[in-house]
Amino acid sequence: MLSLAERLAFGWLVIVCLYYAQIGFVQMIRIIRQGAAAQRSDNLIRRFALALAIVGLQLPLFKIRPIVSIFHAFIFFGFSFYILVNVNDMLEAYIHGWTTLGRDSLLLGGFNLLADLFSIFVLVGMLFFLARRFLAKPKVLEFNDNVLLHPDVRQGGIRFDSLVVGVFILLHVGSRWLGTAFALAGEGISDPSLPTASIVAGFLVGASPEALELGRHICWWLAMGLIVVFLPYFPRSKHLHIMVAPVNLALNRRTPKGAMDSVADAANPGAKDITDLPWPQVLDAYACIMCTRCHEVCPAHESGTPLSPSALEINKRYMLRSGGVAADGIIDLPSLLEGAISEDAVWACTACYACVDVCPVGNEPLMDILAIRRRLVFDAAMPDELATVLKSVDEQGNSFGESARRRPNWTKSLDFEIKDAAKEPVEYLWFVGDFASFNESCQEVSRNVARVLQAAGVDFGILGKAEKTAGNDIRRVGEEGLFEALAEDNIKTLEGCDFKKIFTTDPHTFNALKNEYPALGGEYEVVHYSTLLLELLQSGQISITKPVEAKVTYHDPCYLGRYNGIYEAPREVMRLCGVDLVEMPRNREKSFCCGAGGGRIWMPDHEDMTQRPSENRIDEAVALGGVTYFTVACPKDMTMYSDAVKTSGHEADMAVRDIVDFVVQAMELPQGEALAANV
Amino acid sequence: MIIVVPLNLVPDLVEDLEVDGSGAALETDGLKFKLNEFDDHALEEALLIKDSDQAQVLALALDTENIDKVLFTALAKGADRAVKITGADAAASSRALGSVFAEAARQLDADLVLTGVQSVADLEGQLGPAVAAALQAPFIGVVTNITVAGAGVAVRKEYASGITADFEMDLPAVIGVQAARQTPRYAPVSKVRQIQDSATLEELSITPGAGGAQVSISAMAHPERGEGAKNAVGYRRTGAGA
Repeated sequence: MLSLAERLAFGWLVIVCLYYAQIGFVQMIRIIRQGAAAQRSDNLIRRFALALAIVGLQLPLFKIRPIVSIFHAFIFFGFSFYILVNVNDMLEAYIHGWTTLGRDSLLLGGFNLLADLFSIFVLVGMLFFLARRFLAKPKVLEFNDNVLLHPDVRQGGIRFDSLVVGVFILLHVGSRWLGTAFALAGEGISDPSLPTASIVAGFLVGASPEALELGRHICWWLAMGLIVVFLPYFPRSKHLHIMVAPVNLALNRRTPKGAMDSVADAANPGAKDITDLPWPQVLDAYACIMCTRCHEVCPAHESGTPLSPSALEINKRYMLRSGGVAADGIIDLPSLLEGAISEDAVWACTACYACVDVCPVGNEPLMDILAIRRRLVFDAAMPDELATVLKSVDEQGNSFGESARRRPNWTKSLDFEIKDAAKEPVEYLWFVGDFASFNESCQEVSRNVARVLQAAGVDFGILGKAEKTAGNDIRRVGEEGLFEALAEDNIKTLEGCDFKKIFTTDPHTFNALKNEYPALGGEYEVVHYSTLLLELLQSGQISITKPVEAKVTYHDPCYLGRYNGIYEAPREVMRLCGVDLVEMPRNREKSFCCGAGGGRIWMPDHEDMTQRPSENRIDEAVALGGVTYFTVACPKDMTMYSDAVKTSGHEADMAVRDIVDFVVQAMELPQGEALAANV
Repeated sequence: MIIVVPLNLVPDLVEDLEVDGSGAALETDGLKFKLNEFDDHALEEALLIKDSDQAQVLALALDTENIDKVLFTALAKGADRAVKITGADAAASSRALGSVFAEAARQLDADLVLTGVQSVADLEGQLGPAVAAALQAPFIGVVTNITVAGAGVAVRKEYASGITADFEMDLPAVIGVQAARQTPRYAPVSKVRQIQDSATLEELSITPGAGGAQVSISAMAHPERGEGAKNAVGYRRTGAGA
């Protein structure tokens, strides 16, 4: 179809553009290779096959924003099919007589129909996205005013990039679609396999053959030439995600979500500069499509603090593309704290994993934050309140600054003795944890757990003063050395004990023991008490005599749900106790963090905080209507929400209960005072 | 400038203190020791002087159980040397310890000795003055700020009701630190562990002098408990302390 001159010109254009595109891609790879080491080369075939499958089904998108995701799927499927369309158009341009138009072939007719319909899908999808960004301007695309942003982002860089990509897609697909209409009109072909292009062709009939031919050529150049011209822009553009996202998903972490990487360089732990991050986290910056889903689900951003995981990835991306990178790829950039995320934002993170879980391209902004914290703590730069807690954990083995001797004091008001697992063999070793031991509102829950297990005839014991905090959140504030010291002490203590399984009520403790102690030599079978209670209910060891009549809702703890995938056990326990369980909109993997995780419970609220995440959550529960109990399965949740119902003014509407409280009630066990007063 | 900071361990009040069978000493079983908080401030102030002016900071401590971690922690925070004094009795009186630390300071060529202004074991704050007396050096206590001024130091001392006074002192001098200019810095455990593997603690043997007249404890006791206050609304909280 193309003239010789056009063919030559296109050939040269391809060569020039590929040359410049190659420079950008090589640069990108050089930069990524400067990241710290990470092992991601196992099972490569399986990794990529899996990634392509989930991308092909668009699964990572549909976790939130279903409507937006449908329009994205329109564009995705259209664009994927357009690879075939582009190949065809090249053949049509270079091979004389090659055409799919007006051919009596089922295969080519099918191709035409899909090309025709997918063109419309892409155009509609793209118009939707442009209208969304430039007309509807949803709040979720905005950053809190206090978020650190790269100057280019401040000046509308994301909007500009979005506009360029949007117009490119409209022109590319629109021109191809229009070119088909010119071809149909020019050659006087009527082809029912091209329904929409035929409609446009109907309007073009009557134009001069020269005009139609010119239109066809212009459209071809706009469709095909534009792709080629766009190639060098790719490495700088958000559209890069179509190439990097599948790679990023394929090379994703395969270790348990709840296991942090150990420190690679003991003299320089964590991250100061972007190149201190493991290379997959440098790759994250290129994969980011700047959709801001991560900060939409982020409790820190939602509550008005300066943390946006999205801004972190975007800033990294803009830092890497705006100077500072020499031709040889050597990076001389501002540090992460100067360019990517502010220090107060680093401390605002609750380590709830929602940002990682929701990211459609497999990014891990949380891991960056935890790496930055590691370096900050190593340099002793942290909030004073946190330093005080760390000192007390180092000195006393708990975050309450209490004497280790007082750890088992909560058991004293029970009318039976709990075995000392440090001295005698038990089937279940109960690793109680700090909050369940020392916090007053959690102690009664601990006693209820003890009462239920005692009544069910379970052989269990505690470590008493020999137990130290498991260190889950100590690790997440960045105090790696202290975490290791705690783990070593606990592992040594556990070595001297005779038990079959460990259980705990605390999801944070559960996570550390289950996912992080093995790397330090402590391998145990660890269960959460919700699982244990369910087993006891199902086996009949716990018998329900008086089902609880109450309308309740349940909050999934981050470290039980998102991190460890335990969603049903606590729900099933509650149902077996007879309660009417209603779900909050944000349930299971979409659960909204109480705000205490990642060591936040030891730090004061950020001064910009508009509403505490825990109060936001209580509002969500109240909005369900008629829910009398807000149920938790985590000691930290018990303290956070007990406070939040009061501070949000809902104390009269709703009380906070632990799942075990229903079991005690349904078993008609003698209860402690607090609970009795409440029922 | 060489700054010597004596670091003392005191009973950790997070544990209940009990009187032992003799009736004149604390029950050591179950007693935990920690660094005197004021000494931590003295060390911090010394490190701040080092940060802003040229100074060498020496952490000094009597050789007792668990002291190594305290000295390694001081090194991790930035102290240049850590010295353990052997041959002295940590349970001796502040006055006796004052002579020991003074002798150590003399041998270490100290220009400045910073002690905590007091400790739970020395509420009257005698240690600093005792060191000064033995060194025949000037002493100022309840200090919150120390800066190098010419050949000496300028210090700010706190008085009652928030009044402060600025002094200049010639060296050598002894200062009792009430609070450092900033919260004592945190020593990351991994850094302390790294130091533990790479650094060594110096030792200095000091034989305490005969000393003059001494005091001795004849009896120790907890205060007698009164009936306590009654709650006006008649609500009696139960379970407390259970």
